[in-house]
Amino acid sequence: MEPLLVVKNVEKTYGKGANIFNALQHISFEIDHGEFVGVMGPSGAGKSTLLNVLATIDSPTSGDIFIGTDNIAKMDEEKLADFRRDHLGFIFQDYNLLDSLTVRENILLPLAIAKKKPAEIKKRVEAMAAAFGISNLLEKYPYQISGGQKQRTAASRALISNPKIIFADEPTGALDSKSATDLLESMSSLNEKHEATILMVTHDAYAASFCRRILFIKDGRLSKEIFRGTKTRQEFFQVILDELSQIGGETNDAI
Amino acid sequence: MTLFDLALKNIRRNMKSYSLYIGSTVFSILIYFTFATLKYSENISGMAETSKQIQGVMGASAFVLVIFVAIFILYSNSFFMKRRKKEVALYSLLGVRKKSIGFLLFFENMVIGLFSLIVGVLLGFLLSRMLLTILLKLMDLNIVAGFAFSLDALLNTCIVFFIIFLFTSLMGYRIIYRFKLIDLFHAEKKGEDVPKVRVITAIIGVAALAAAYYLALQDLFESEAWRLLGLALPIVIIALTVIGSYLLFHSVLIYVLSVLKGNPNWAWKGLHMMTASQLLYRIRGNAKTLTVITVLSATTITSGGAVFGVYYNSDKNVQTYTPYSFMWEGKKQVIDPAIVESEVSFHSKTLRVTQDMNEMEYVVINETAFKSLAKNLNWSEIQKLEEDEVFAIDAYYDERWSDKLESVTINDSNYTVAAFYEKAVFNTGTLGGNALVVPDSLYDKIQSDEKLIQAVQVRDYKNQMATSDRLAAYTENFSSATADYKSAIGSLGALLFVGSFLGLVFLVATGSIIFFKMMTEAEEDKAKYAILHKIGVSKKDMKQTIRGQIGIIFAVPLLLGIIHGSVALAAVSNLLMMDFVVPVMIWMIAYTAIYAVYYVATVRSFTKIIKKGYLE
Repeated sequence: MEPLLVVKNVEKTYGKGANIFNALQHISFEIDHGEFVGVMGPSGAGKSTLLNVLATIDSPTSGDIFIGTDNIAKMDEEKLADFRRDHLGFIFQDYNLLDSLTVRENILLPLAIAKKKPAEIKKRVEAMAAAFGISNLLEKYPYQISGGQKQRTAASRALISNPKIIFADEPTGALDSKSATDLLESMSSLNEKHEATILMVTHDAYAASFCRRILFIKDGRLSKEIFRGTKTRQEFFQVILDELSQIGGETNDAI
Repeated sequence: MTLFDLALKNIRRNMKSYSLYIGSTVFSILIYFTFATLKYSENISGMAETSKQIQGVMGASAFVLVIFVAIFILYSNSFFMKRRKKEVALYSLLGVRKKSIGFLLFFENMVIGLFSLIVGVLLGFLLSRMLLTILLKLMDLNIVAGFAFSLDALLNTCIVFFIIFLFTSLMGYRIIYRFKLIDLFHAEKKGEDVPKVRVITAIIGVAALAAAYYLALQDLFESEAWRLLGLALPIVIIALTVIGSYLLFHSVLIYVLSVLKGNPNWAWKGLHMMTASQLLYRIRGNAKTLTVITVLSATTITSGGAVFGVYYNSDKNVQTYTPYSFMWEGKKQVIDPAIVESEVSFHSKTLRVTQDMNEMEYVVINETAFKSLAKNLNWSEIQKLEEDEVFAIDAYYDERWSDKLESVTINDSNYTVAAFYEKAVFNTGTLGGNALVVPDSLYDKIQSDEKLIQAVQVRDYKNQMATSDRLAAYTENFSSATADYKSAIGSLGALLFVGSFLGLVFLVATGSIIFFKMMTEAEEDKAKYAILHKIGVSKKDMKQTIRGQIGIIFAVPLLLGIIHGSVALAAVSNLLMMDFVVPVMIWMIAYTAIYAVYYVATVRSFTKIIKKGYLE
């Protein structure tokens, strides 16, 4: 089968002349349909830059990025907006919910923008809310609910339009361990049952241990790739910790 | 580093975010200084010596302007302060004492005030001459602009604004004492509960407006309300209007928005729910702003409409009492045949008639003279007089206190009045307002001195001053539409000038208030639009919701303001007995057009800020 995401020789540089800074260098990898991939690395390694470039929020200096058959590195701004709306989902560390909208309205926003029918929207919002256990919060406003509930709302919003791929940027960064576990379990069950493709950036080994594959990035380059294979989550967690101690990443968030 | 240095540095570094506030203060000073220059200029004070009325108008206008400018600056200042709460909180967190921060804000505000005062006066000095010349030219007034720099105007401006700035600075000083540190940090984030619809508020609002309208449309001379309240009535009407508008915005707007937002068929389509919820989210602040804008719009529309209406009617007014360009008693005079449209030469007699114990003197003309006079004025369908009938003319007829003549006794026989005309068929300045038209045979039998009268109609009568002056010198009982028109415009001139000036100021200020408000909101909403951008909302959809939100903020108060203005103008036109429909329509269209320009500019700047927000 064709891979879903193909990244070829992507580079991202900031600045000009002598002050040039290479945030990403020669990044190439592929993600297949239904994968749950983590990207790990120390602060400043280029994790977030990579995610922004892949998520079309930022554009690469050179290189190609194919999602399906579309080369998003070469699309113009208006097309990118439509592409994001139709094919991508996002979960951010700081939730990015609109505080003037209710939880329900926040979740259905992508469908409303895509001009879906109200009846269909209602059905899908309720199904999604049930999957993340926030059905009883639908009429509340973001400032009335907890961080974990906010993040589950954000995840519902990301998934509601059945995107081809979901980008998660440190989704557990601001959550306590219980909320983080709930969210990660929901995500991994969506990945297993509905074959949702997820790319998650994290520096937290515990969060990363829910992934099937992990890419390590250091100084703007891919440094290593490890697979969970048939290991249990706990075993995989140990592998990640070992890996991190070798390349000098942070382990202080580990449980 | 002293506190003063810190304040100075603060302003220099944040010039961009300060520029909106400084811009509005400079604008206020510019406007006020221009007006003060005008007030103290020799032309106007020369005029004021001859006319107490103009003096009064200028004084009252200056007062209105001061109040307005003060509100405007307070308004921009409070917006400005809101944006800086976080900065204040940071100082406080770093351990700067409240007293010191208070002094910092106080100093800073005074520095801004001083700076704007200098810039405003300099700009005012350069621009006032230009502004006034343009305005005078537009109004076709012959006060040639000799507006020199006036020390009095400068002093007046400085004092007024010093007081205003002192006040706003004290407010700034106070602001940090009122808030707790925790509030300062969460000022923007704190979610407001979505307001609930209260039916009772809506009912009170509608009732207040209905009462205000009812009172406004009462007849000045006959109504009980005027007798009871006297001069307090206008204040009652204005108060009711303001309260009514506020309650209406508070209830009806919330109701409409809530219904729209709750309807999935409308709300769940594109960004509709975003538009509705953004407006709803800020409804408390919006209700206040919308009320201010409504009242300002209504004031501008009413004052501008009334002044323009009177000006527009001055032509008609002259025509009412002086239908012929020139009339005089005596023989014909030589007038350039190229400008003459028609001439009538006729005789008149005078007759004393006793009616209800009063003896009235009437000018009498015969039917033939009347017919030719009426024909030149394009009167239609004049019936023929029977032997025992006459026509009566009363140019000053008013149904409130005049009686209609029904029959007259001439030479001991009774004549029925076949038709009663409420308009002048000749210039009242030459022959008076009351006249009888009698059959030719009866006219010859009336015993009285006979006068020869000349009536001339010329082309473009407003610009025949030379002919008018020449005729005035050579003839008796001369009346001239040209001269009447000139003097009407002359006495209206100052009023018109002040009216247009204030109208312009209010218009610019109304637009600016909305503009500043929306710019502040744009800064606050940047993050929201950045989120929308990230989840794939196209530029087109974003523009649409921005247009919708700003459109409501512009359109709703304009609409209500126009309705208020219409009622007020209906009252004024009843009072003055003038037809205002055409001039008021023109004025409202002009107002709406300029307002629309502000709308487009606001949408543009808003979009620009938002775009910068998500590209960062």
